Amino acid sequence: MSVRPHSTGWVHIAAMPWRMVAHRFSFVFFLILAFGILVLGRVQPVMVEGVRTHVVDSLAPLLDALSRPMAASENAIQSVGSYFSLRAENERLRASNAQLKQWQNSVVALQNENRELHNLLHFKSEPGVSYISARVIADTGGAFVRSLVITAGKLDGVREGMAAMTGDGLIGRVVEIGDWSSRVLLITDLNSRIPVTIAGSGDRAVLAGDNSTEPKLLYLPPDTSVASGAHVMTSGHGGVFPPNLPVGVVKETSHGVYSIVPVADLGRINYVRLVDFNLKGGVFNPMASKIQAEVKKR
Amino acid sequence: MLTVFWQRLDNAVRMALPFATAVMCTLLSVMTLPVPYLGTIAPPLALIAIYYWTLHRPDLLRPSMVFIVGLLNDIINDFPLGLSALLFVSAHHFILMQRRFFTGHSFMMTWAGFILTVLVVMICQWLLLCIIRWQGVPLQPVFVPSILAIVLFPIPCWIFIRLQRNVLSQG
Repeated sequence: MSVRPHSTGWVHIAAMPWRMVAHRFSFVFFLILAFGILVLGRVQPVMVEGVRTHVVDSLAPLLDALSRPMAASENAIQSVGSYFSLRAENERLRASNAQLKQWQNSVVALQNENRELHNLLHFKSEPGVSYISARVIADTGGAFVRSLVITAGKLDGVREGMAAMTGDGLIGRVVEIGDWSSRVLLITDLNSRIPVTIAGSGDRAVLAGDNSTEPKLLYLPPDTSVASGAHVMTSGHGGVFPPNLPVGVVKETSHGVYSIVPVADLGRINYVRLVDFNLKGGVFNPMASKIQAEVKKR
Repeated sequence: MLTVFWQRLDNAVRMALPFATAVMCTLLSVMTLPVPYLGTIAPPLALIAIYYWTLHRPDLLRPSMVFIVGLLNDIINDFPLGLSALLFVSAHHFILMQRRFFTGHSFMMTWAGFILTVLVVMICQWLLLCIIRWQGVPLQPVFVPSILAIVLFPIPCWIFIRLQRNVLSQG
């Protein structure tokens, strides 16, 4: 438990004061160096973010390897659990299947009608949507940042600003891309701002993360009352996301402050789907816009 | 000649153990586990490693290594680069200054020292983040990871004690 001397006898005793000086010097040196890097990060964000992206990219295989045993054990536990609920699951799926068949008939009829109407109006269809699926390898940030590192990067076709979704709805957007990995900023992060609209009333607002599990609705029109349970969708303003992506449900109204419960379970995300809507809009990210401005300046 | 080389390599690997455990703790703290919202309440495991090895083997965990662990923590967690490095190096110095006091009496005293360290580091981290980003970062989420780190402290400590006795003492 005690400190091991590097040497013994008079050499060790003689070296003691020097060692103390060397230690104090290295402490001050690294303190100044850390402070310098902090300042550099503010002055030269392009360089610092580049270093960060490269290091995360290099660590991605290691993070991936570390997360695999846990993912495998979770899958195994889920498989065992589903084995015991096979009968109930089968009943549920049968009922769901019958309902979906009815929906399918309606969808086919509506699709045909839609096509005919498009032809009548010579409607220009929107650009196609492409998907990239990726696994979550790190849930980062602790108490201060809400972000995920995923196993898809530039080489897989990921682009900055892509919408990150689960099967249920929007969870965030890509803010940092390496060759093999990317970082997704969740909608609950303090720096996340998403233009949204309230389904039904059509009121517009900005969904602002505050690091809690329930982001807040800001900049609602004055004297607006939003009903609890109302669905919140992306509005499509700002050109970041297309309209009508499901985001959440209005939960509570206290003193005119509205928060939403995300439709996607943000506490348990193993896989994400990055959706490229081929939009030409900018990225709603203060750091990214700062970096882009600096690049333009150069 | 070859035997000497392998002996030296073996020794070097043993001596790198405190640094390696601190790096591993940093990576483990961002691992995805099947526990909802664990990422938001993950305890600062790297700080436990730094605290333990600074108390018990400061000769093997130099300020340069603490600095690197801090930078890694910043990079992985998307913190402003240099923030954790600054705090970890300061914490390392503080622990070293109070070393005799924290290790002298009992494990409870060591634990109390860690409580003080983790609370000061987490609150300083929150304060610096507020200043750097120039916005009010909520303070509330700081407490759950700190409490988790305090409660879980004996478990990593037990592992480090085993490593120290079984790996380092044979070097």
